[in-house]
Amino acid sequence: METMNLIELCHLDEIAEGTSRGFDTSGRGRDTVFLVRQNGELFGYRNACPHYGTTPMAWRKDAYLSGDGSRIVCAAHGAQFDIATGECLQGACLGQSLTPVRLTITDDGRILLEQDAQ
Amino acid sequence: MKIIGPDALVFGVDDIAAASQYLIDYGLQAVDAGPHGGRFEALDGTAIIVTRQDDPSLPAPLPTNAPLRKTIYGVADQATLDAIAAELSKDREVRRLDDGSLESVDDMGFALGFQITVRRPLDLPSERVNAPGDHARPVNDVGVDEDRVIIPRSLSHVVYFVPDAAKAETFYVERLGFRCTDRFIGTGPFLQPAGTLDHHTLFMIETPPFMLGCEHFTFHMGGPSEVLLAGTRFVNKGYESFWGPGRHKFGSNWFWYFNSPFGCHVEYDADMDLHDEEWEAREAPISADASQAFLFQYREKWIPGGDPQ
Ligand code: FES
Ligand SMILES: [Fe+2]
Repeated sequence: METMNLIELCHLDEIAEGTSRGFDTSGRGRDTVFLVRQNGELFGYRNACPHYGTTPMAWRKDAYLSGDGSRIVCAAHGAQFDIATGECLQGACLGQSLTPVRLTITDDGRILLEQDAQ
Repeated sequence: MKIIGPDALVFGVDDIAAASQYLIDYGLQAVDAGPHGGRFEALDGTAIIVTRQDDPSLPAPLPTNAPLRKTIYGVADQATLDAIAAELSKDREVRRLDDGSLESVDDMGFALGFQITVRRPLDLPSERVNAPGDHARPVNDVGVDEDRVIIPRSLSHVVYFVPDAAKAETFYVERLGFRCTDRFIGTGPFLQPAGTLDHHTLFMIETPPFMLGCEHFTFHMGGPSEVLLAGTRFVNKGYESFWGPGRHKFGSNWFWYFNSPFGCHVEYDADMDLHDEEWEAREAPISADASQAFLFQYREKWIPGGDPQ
C-alpha cells in the first residue's frame, strides 16, 4: 500500500495572486519547493533548476518570477519557464521542465504538499 | 595594447527597482540612480550600469536576449583606444560614441565598449593576517569588526557562456592582446589583458549556442574575511547563495556566488593571484576537484551546547 505524507505549506490567503513563495519542507534552511499563484490557480514545483539539476532558483527569498510576473525565472542563468506547465521556454534548459509537486487544497483553504513516505 | 580590465558591465533588466536594490545590498554605491536605472560603483569607480531592457541607447541584445548588454573595458590611454579602433575596424564596425568611447562586438556577438579607464587608484590596505614569522596586522588593530562598512573594491572579472571557446579566445588574444593564464580543457581559457597582472578578467565556458550570455561577474573585496562577512550579510538579507564560500585553484581567488535578477550569478572574490608574462599557463580537465581547493556551505550561526537560556 502506498503511504503519503501531507505537509502543510501555508493558507491560500498567504499567497497573493501574481506572486510566488518558497517553503523549506526539510528544515535545512533552504527552500525545497515553491508555489506560484496565477489567474487564481496554484502551481507548485521543486526548487531545482533542470539546467544543473538540483540548484536553487530564486534570487531572493520568494522571488521566483520575472519582473512582470509572467514567467518563472531561474536566477542562476536566467532560464524562463511557463508558470502553468513548468516548461523551459528560453535559456539554459530549453525543452526541459521543472518538476511539479502534488498539492491538495483543503476545504478551509490550507495548501498541503503530498510527499511519498520514505 | 594596454587594456586594464572591465570598467563597467551594462545590464538591461525588466525590474529596475529590484535590480538596483540588489546591487545596493551587495554593497555597491548608487550614483545617479532612479527609476531609469543608474550606476552602481565600487570604490575605484568601476561599476554595474542598470538600464531598462528596452532602452534605445543599448546595443542590440544577443540572440538569446541575455540581460548583459555591454562589457566596457577601461584602457590606459588614447593611444590604446586608437590602436583598438584601427585593429577592429579591419573587419567590423567600430563606432565612436559622443563620450569618446568606442563600441564594437567580439566574435561571439558580445557588445564591447572601450574607454580611457575611469578606475581611481586605491590606496587601501588589504586584509592583514598575523602568523608566527610574519605579523602583518598592526598591534592593537582588531581583526574582526562585524560592523565594518564593506564596499567592493573593483570590478574583477566577467564570465561568458560561448558556443566556440577557441574562436572566442582567438579574438581576445590576437586582436586585443589578452593572454591565457590557465585553461580548463574542453571548457575554456582564463584570459588576462595586457594592462593588469590579475590572473583573469575574463573566463569563458563553452556551452550550446542557446546559452550564449553571461555566467557571472564579480568584484574584488579587501580579503577573504570581507568575502565571508559580506556574503553572510547578503544571505541574511534573503539572497540566495548558489556556490560557496570556497577557494578556487586556478587564480587562487576566494569565491562566493549568489543568484541574481541579472540572469547570471554575482560573486564576491578576494586574493586572486597575479601573473606576468613569465607565467606558463596550466591546463586541467574541469571537475569539482579542479575548480576548488575547498568548499563550504552557509549555515545559521550556532554554538556548541546551544545558547544559554
Ligand atoms: S541553473 Fe537555472 S538557468 Fe542555470
Ligand atoms: Fe569568478
